[in-house]
Amino acid sequence: MSDIKPADINILRAKGEESLYPDRPKIGISMASCGLAAGAGKILETIEGELKNLDLDWIVTKTGCPGFCQKEPLLYYHAPGKEKIYFGELTEKKAKDLVKELSENTVDRDFATWKIMSDVTIDDKTLFISEETEIEDIPLYQEYDFFKKQHKIALRNCGFIDPQSIEEYIAKGGYAAFQKALKMKPDEVIDFIKKSGLRGRGGGGFPTGLKWELCSKEDSDIKYIICNADEGDPGAYMDRSILEGDPHSIIEGMLIGAYGIGSNEGYIYVRAEYPLAIELLDIAVQQARENGFLGANILNSGFSFDINLAYGAGAFVCGEETALIASIEGRPVEPRIRPPFPSQSGLWEKPTNINNVETWANVPPIILKGHDWYSSLGTETSKGTKVFSLVGKINNTGLVEVPMGITLREIIYDVGGGIIDNKKFKAIQTGGPSGGCLPESHIDLPVDYESLKEAGSIMGSGGMIVVDEDTCIVDLAKFFIDFTRDESCGKCVSCRDGLDACHEILNKITEGKSALEDLDYLEELGQSIVDFSMCGLGTTAPNPVLTTLRYFKDEYIAHIEKKECSAKVCKALITYEIIKDNCVGCQACARLCPENAIKGQKDKVHKINQELCIKCGVCFDTCRYDAILIRSGDK
Amino acid sequence: MVNITINDQEYDIEEGKTILEAAQAMGLEIPTLCYHKALSPYGACRLCTVEIELNGRTMYQASCQYLVEEGMNIQTESERVVNGRKKMIELLLARAPEAEDILDLAYKYGVKDTRFLKEFDDVCILCGLCIRVCHDRMGFKAIEFINRGIERKVSLPFEDFHEVCRTCGSCSTYCPTGAKAVQLENLTHHTPRPILSEFDQGLATRPAVYTPFPQAVPKIPVIDRNNCIHFQTGECKICQDVCEPDAINYEQEDEIVEREVGAIVVTTGFDPFDPNRLPQYGYGKYPNVITSLEFERISSASGPTEGEIIFPGVTEIKSAAILHCIGSRDENTNRYCSRLCCMNALKAANLIRDKLPDSHVYEFYIDIRAAGKGYEEYYQKMLRSDIRIIRGKVAEITNIPDLPEDEGRLTVVAEDTLLGAILRVPVDLVILMVGIEPKKDARDLAHILHLPCTEEGFYNEKHPKLAPTETVIEGIHVAGACQFPKDVPDSVAQGESAAAAVLSKIARGEYITEPTKAEIVDDHCSGCRNCIGLCPYLAISFDEEEEIAKIDSALCQGCGVCVASCPSGAIIHRGYTDKQIFAEIEGVLER
Repeated sequence: MSDIKPADINILRAKGEESLYPDRPKIGISMASCGLAAGAGKILETIEGELKNLDLDWIVTKTGCPGFCQKEPLLYYHAPGKEKIYFGELTEKKAKDLVKELSENTVDRDFATWKIMSDVTIDDKTLFISEETEIEDIPLYQEYDFFKKQHKIALRNCGFIDPQSIEEYIAKGGYAAFQKALKMKPDEVIDFIKKSGLRGRGGGGFPTGLKWELCSKEDSDIKYIICNADEGDPGAYMDRSILEGDPHSIIEGMLIGAYGIGSNEGYIYVRAEYPLAIELLDIAVQQARENGFLGANILNSGFSFDINLAYGAGAFVCGEETALIASIEGRPVEPRIRPPFPSQSGLWEKPTNINNVETWANVPPIILKGHDWYSSLGTETSKGTKVFSLVGKINNTGLVEVPMGITLREIIYDVGGGIIDNKKFKAIQTGGPSGGCLPESHIDLPVDYESLKEAGSIMGSGGMIVVDEDTCIVDLAKFFIDFTRDESCGKCVSCRDGLDACHEILNKITEGKSALEDLDYLEELGQSIVDFSMCGLGTTAPNPVLTTLRYFKDEYIAHIEKKECSAKVCKALITYEIIKDNCVGCQACARLCPENAIKGQKDKVHKINQELCIKCGVCFDTCRYDAILIRSGDK
Repeated sequence: MVNITINDQEYDIEEGKTILEAAQAMGLEIPTLCYHKALSPYGACRLCTVEIELNGRTMYQASCQYLVEEGMNIQTESERVVNGRKKMIELLLARAPEAEDILDLAYKYGVKDTRFLKEFDDVCILCGLCIRVCHDRMGFKAIEFINRGIERKVSLPFEDFHEVCRTCGSCSTYCPTGAKAVQLENLTHHTPRPILSEFDQGLATRPAVYTPFPQAVPKIPVIDRNNCIHFQTGECKICQDVCEPDAINYEQEDEIVEREVGAIVVTTGFDPFDPNRLPQYGYGKYPNVITSLEFERISSASGPTEGEIIFPGVTEIKSAAILHCIGSRDENTNRYCSRLCCMNALKAANLIRDKLPDSHVYEFYIDIRAAGKGYEEYYQKMLRSDIRIIRGKVAEITNIPDLPEDEGRLTVVAEDTLLGAILRVPVDLVILMVGIEPKKDARDLAHILHLPCTEEGFYNEKHPKLAPTETVIEGIHVAGACQFPKDVPDSVAQGESAAAAVLSKIARGEYITEPTKAEIVDDHCSGCRNCIGLCPYLAISFDEEEEIAKIDSALCQGCGVCVASCPSGAIIHRGYTDKQIFAEIEGVLER
């Protein structure tokens, strides 16, 4: 039972501010999954050890991921009254030295990546401002290339606060939106979200306010709301970052949604492969309950709401809302036909509203800062910002939150810093495995729901995979088809056997055993899978094939007619040869060849026995004289 | 009602119907493999996908699941739909290349071949019909899909045999691949217990709802309660759902109907002799030793083998033996002749020669009884054919061969009494011409109706020449084999005769009888009821009001038993009173 008063919230807020900006120097280490994978655990140990060594009474805290995953392990240092300085790409040694240097004020500026001079919350409260700067030459956060074009709304707190502290969340303006919403009527809340133009960030792009309204109009005592945290796209981790960096923002978003819709029970469906997210969510829900934000009669408003966690067991298709519901209910996961929509008959046949993590995280700022503010961002039909996970052959990989309508070029070159080694940009796969592969001719395409759809791709949940000239487009399409083939629930013939058939044809193409008419057949088959499948997985799964056939047909034809893989990826179509003029006869390759396919006497030109060669590429990687040539077709 | 357009034709359809239901109701065909009227639609085969235009949007949806909406414009065979269907059929063919339903669709849509033939043996197309019928209708939940995507298959919990399956067989009945995909023996260690068709002599199976035999009167299906799942578990009810005239009523009970009638014709027929009583012939031991009735079904074009003479375990029938008088003319079983077996045996021999022209047929007889119109001529014709008709009773059927090449065949051991030689004939088929016996419960009925029987239990007629259909009980007639072995023509003749006899009595409106009847002198009757039990014709009843016995003069045959037994001398024999007899004696003595 909650009897928390706004005054109590102020106490929490003060505690949070104290914890965010204490009167002692503070080190915040980014400890989300990406940071941990890069070794943040060791960095934390090192730093704590070094602080003890030097007998420094600093505060060390764990934060989520600030988004620039390329720079992990990452930490910030903040001394009272000074700017907040971020240090990236740490090693244990660097971290050890850093503590010492910081304490002695002799920091090597090359070390530092960017700095933050002030912190203003979403409800416009200035938490700190630093007039002076210690280190002049480090770029400001808002001027730093990676962040310059970003506008963080959903990711507003990620990397800045301790995800295990409800006080820090409140200090950053958390739960203020919920309090504001409680003063509104439920239908006003829904109207507010409708006016903001927020659309579902999970893939479909259905207007969120309208979705809430449909559910709220259903006549039922019990209604459920669900947060879909079953993020399964390969290479995409927007939701994980929010779950690990700012779990309370989801709880607050769900509270507002529940209040608007009239629901008293919610579920967060999170995949079991996100153990850290589950741990942090569990803590956050517990804290919200303890502090009276979840439970009965919240803030004496008469409104009651609680959240349960449900764990997915790793099926990609559970991201589809009807399959997700089946999973929570404990049934085998198979999507079912809509209508009836979950808003009519969802979890346990009660009206249910499902939004994904990013959508929920967007809700509090909209309520707090106004729908006009939100709808001023983005394009005519796609409002606000979108988080993308920018990965692949790009210099700056990480999570980027950019306003809708930004072009692919800006994302790739301005935010992403261009292609690694200045290679040639070839394509960008948007929308995860169900999305499409767009070529260079589309690089100035504004990123919004409609433009992407028109180009044959989708917004999806926000995966963006950049590929360069070294990537074979047929192989790429095959990779995604293999993924969706493995993840198909197997109910519809079209998806289950259709994708398997696509896989077979693509395999034939990459093995050089295909004929030109296969391409027409592949295209027809892809279209039929789109038309004949029931759920979102099947109807979008052929997109990678269909878009690559549309934009990169020449490459397919080259595979078939010339048996040529220009990216030199498809093993059946390449041969490794030795360039006589370059070979010095060092025998390095011959020693390492696992099949003993390379023969040659010392100081004499070597030769590769093509019959034995398994095309593992060891010789190519070993040769220091550029004497190994990969040949495919005429190239 | 919603107004929709299907293939440019407008229809008004009841709300809540699926597009498929609507189309089917309008006589339009949409292909589907995973839809069944009795089960919830599932949408796995995707073949019923149609093109729907609604509010300016075109979509493709499985018609079995999508509900009709006002203003829908539906195309069931648009180019894109047909293209998609072709692909689906090709993909389905890859799984079940020999399933007839799929081959029919492939033919219809011009799909000649599949390029994705699966390497595994499983021909399951994963339509889920078996699972749905097991879960939704049978209530057993014995099978379920496991795994996902291409690995998906129908399986048991933990992929192991278990107790839940009740071997009802509905899963294989619903399988569109012709039950090749779901086989009971792969599901459970419970032994499947097929319901054997009584009419087909247990040689074929039948469902729990069935028409007893093709010419049944009335030709109406019945429910076999002992085997119907609904009567075991309360589930299923599929027949009720699919019966359009709503004729299935599970509450119906057997009832006893009482009718007052003026005459009864007893035509209860016979039981065939049970050859298990003669173990030397190996019936029940060797699958290819069969009775004449079983042969009748096997050789029938509407029988379980569609007229082909085949048996499990027998590859080729090179020769057959037909054994006469099994349970007839035999001191050990029945001494009488069953009358029809000889001709039936000759017919069977003829049929075998007809269907298997290269085979040899042996008849082992005692005497040929060919008394009937054209029967002798038929016998003579058979004698002239190459059927070996051997006079002699078979001693034994054995599976121990004389020659190694006859391993696996049967040997008939008999004596040819005309040659005086012992024969050992290797055969592949033995037909036992089983005799005719009274029905097992013939004596029970005789007791109820007070009918006299022969020592075997056949009902006795009143007089073999003068009253061949009547019995001693006035108003009760007999016809057919319940009286004595008869073939069809004789049975029909006697039946018609009985019917005519009954009708002539009823139509006359009055009843002419012998005048000699017993009569009760009311004043003398003490009401002791001794006479009632003694009357063999059920003619005496007790009048509760007057407390005296009454004789129905229409039933009384004037036998006089009651007269002699009455302790108070209250019963007199009309025309044979003591007074009359004494007067007669006196008259004689006076001469």
